[in-house]
Amino acid sequence: MAQWLDDLQFYTMHFMPYVHLPPDHEKYESLWVDFPNRFFDPQKGHELYQRYMSEMVLADQLGYDGLVVNEHHNTVYSMMPVCTLMAAALIPQTRRAKICCFGVPINLEMPNRLAEAYAMLDVMSGGRLEIALPLGTGMEYWANSINPATARARFRESLEVLLQAWTQDGPSTFDGEFFNYRYLNPWPRPMQRPHPKIAIVGSGSPETVQIAAERGFGYSSVFVPIAVQEKTFRRLREEMPRYGHSFTPDKAMFNAIVYVAENEQLAEQEFKEHMRYWVEDTTRTTPRFLNPPGYISPEQLRMRAAATASHGGFDWDVLTSQWRIVFGTPEKIANTLGQWCESAGSSRVILHHHIGDMPHWKVVKNMTLFAEEVIPRLRGRRGGNQTQGEARERAAGVTAAAGGR
Amino acid sequence: MAIDWRSHELMVNGVKTQVLRAGEGEPLVFWHGGGTAGGWEFAAPWTEKFSVYLPLHPGFGGSADDAGMSSIQDYLMHYLDLFDELKLDRFHLVGQSLGGWMAAAFATQQSRRLQRLVLVCPAGLWVREHPITDLFRLKPEELPAALAENPAALGSPPDPHDVNVIVESYRELTTLARIGWQRMYDPKLAKYLHRIDVPTLLVWGEQDRVVPLEQAREWQRLVRGSQLRTFTPAGHLVLHERAEAVKAVREFLAA
Repeated sequence: MAQWLDDLQFYTMHFMPYVHLPPDHEKYESLWVDFPNRFFDPQKGHELYQRYMSEMVLADQLGYDGLVVNEHHNTVYSMMPVCTLMAAALIPQTRRAKICCFGVPINLEMPNRLAEAYAMLDVMSGGRLEIALPLGTGMEYWANSINPATARARFRESLEVLLQAWTQDGPSTFDGEFFNYRYLNPWPRPMQRPHPKIAIVGSGSPETVQIAAERGFGYSSVFVPIAVQEKTFRRLREEMPRYGHSFTPDKAMFNAIVYVAENEQLAEQEFKEHMRYWVEDTTRTTPRFLNPPGYISPEQLRMRAAATASHGGFDWDVLTSQWRIVFGTPEKIANTLGQWCESAGSSRVILHHHIGDMPHWKVVKNMTLFAEEVIPRLRGRRGGNQTQGEARERAAGVTAAAGGR
Repeated sequence: MAIDWRSHELMVNGVKTQVLRAGEGEPLVFWHGGGTAGGWEFAAPWTEKFSVYLPLHPGFGGSADDAGMSSIQDYLMHYLDLFDELKLDRFHLVGQSLGGWMAAAFATQQSRRLQRLVLVCPAGLWVREHPITDLFRLKPEELPAALAENPAALGSPPDPHDVNVIVESYRELTTLARIGWQRMYDPKLAKYLHRIDVPTLLVWGEQDRVVPLEQAREWQRLVRGSQLRTFTPAGHLVLHERAEAVKAVREFLAA
């Protein structure tokens, strides 16, 4: 029996993008950092927030294990510059799912304030918080007053403060290069002891994998090609024991974009245009914004420059063969995800049921079919511990509970 | 006529440092600005009269990177070590842009070691009404026109698709970010410029689009007895654009 099957969990993640782009948006090289914010219409934003939250609430009712939110700045890609606010809004609307902040780029916050905010969410949710710490994309450093040349050193120190705040009884002191605390003594403290589960978010750079390995944290790989993810998780598995930690399948968390429909052709037809929008529009930015000075080393820039020269734009064949994107029937998707979990040694799948400018009905269809037809197929492989009927009952029970409150 | 530079490599407090040398005469130290792309051929007239020392700042050209150097003062400490190594006690100091900021800061602390000081469109001063252009905000293709009134004077531009060019420029921008991502000036510099007690020449391109000419007035006010020479047409890289500017520096130092 594959170890990953014992604890297989499905999270769903939402970027909550702003999708009402002006007709001439293509004249803007980047929809990040310097894309004029006059194009944001708060009324439309309000409607989108309502809609997107309802999709996350539905995911809780359908029995998903985690609801994942994250944070970006100055961009149509995400309307969650403060993802802890969205997490707080979801807590009273949901009952079961973990609330996953994957998460606040710790460098953009005072680490004691982040310890406080996350502890609040954990206590408010009754211990449902899970977090993952990103360095933040290069774009965040153009949008915030933080030097990208110190990003990695600052990240390490911020993490130290955060962990000290949660693992040492206060008041304690901290004397660092970036932070000094006379009285590190945050109230409240997290409900989960000593703290909520932590992962590092990254694209597989040696530095971020190293931090996860040293601390024994999980690693949540952002959307990168399959080969890069697998190399990342291999390194994590190899490195972790060197620091006295054991690798478990829940520590390899991967993102996958899925679309379930009645048949393959319909799935492609309903899904492809939104994938195109995501690749060509919401992720559109410039190399300069991606890599502010000092954000990566010149050697890594050389490697990245070589990598980006080899592909460009929306290439459906490459995306659907080399990236974790799968669409089609429940059977096909279950098989593909099963293979991916197996080869990545992973038991944590972060699904994107909403992508780009996908309308509400497709998200509901995709999320529901996945919960009812794909998850039971995968869980069923665990010696039949949970049948399709049980999954339905579980989902129905939670729905009833939510409806009855 | 191309300058016959002799390149020396020194270890300065653990940092490999490249020093170019040419010419004979009184020592003249030149501190370059925040990039090396334009080259140093403009300095030929100086080498006819002076022994020119052109050290590459750590993180630029042939000098090694040091992530620990994150302020102008770190560079001054580096140069105190380098000058000891080179046995340079008194010398002329010419600094351009970022190097001009360094030279002004050095002069506030080590004025007595300087024979004469030349600040070529120096960065470093905080002038609210006439701020320095944030070079980090410019796209690579916008840089030549921002730096020079006549970009052709800088020679043929490097191929923007050449990976080596991209990587080297990223490396130098990283060095610059360590010093000045937050701000390319020191809000306290003005408070200490009165300590410069050496004949000082300010050199400016009248069409400088990086450090506006208006800042020159402020420098003149703050550095006692300083003279200003302006040149036109010339942008920020006035030494590369106007041979008269280079000659004016030579005449000032030789006076």
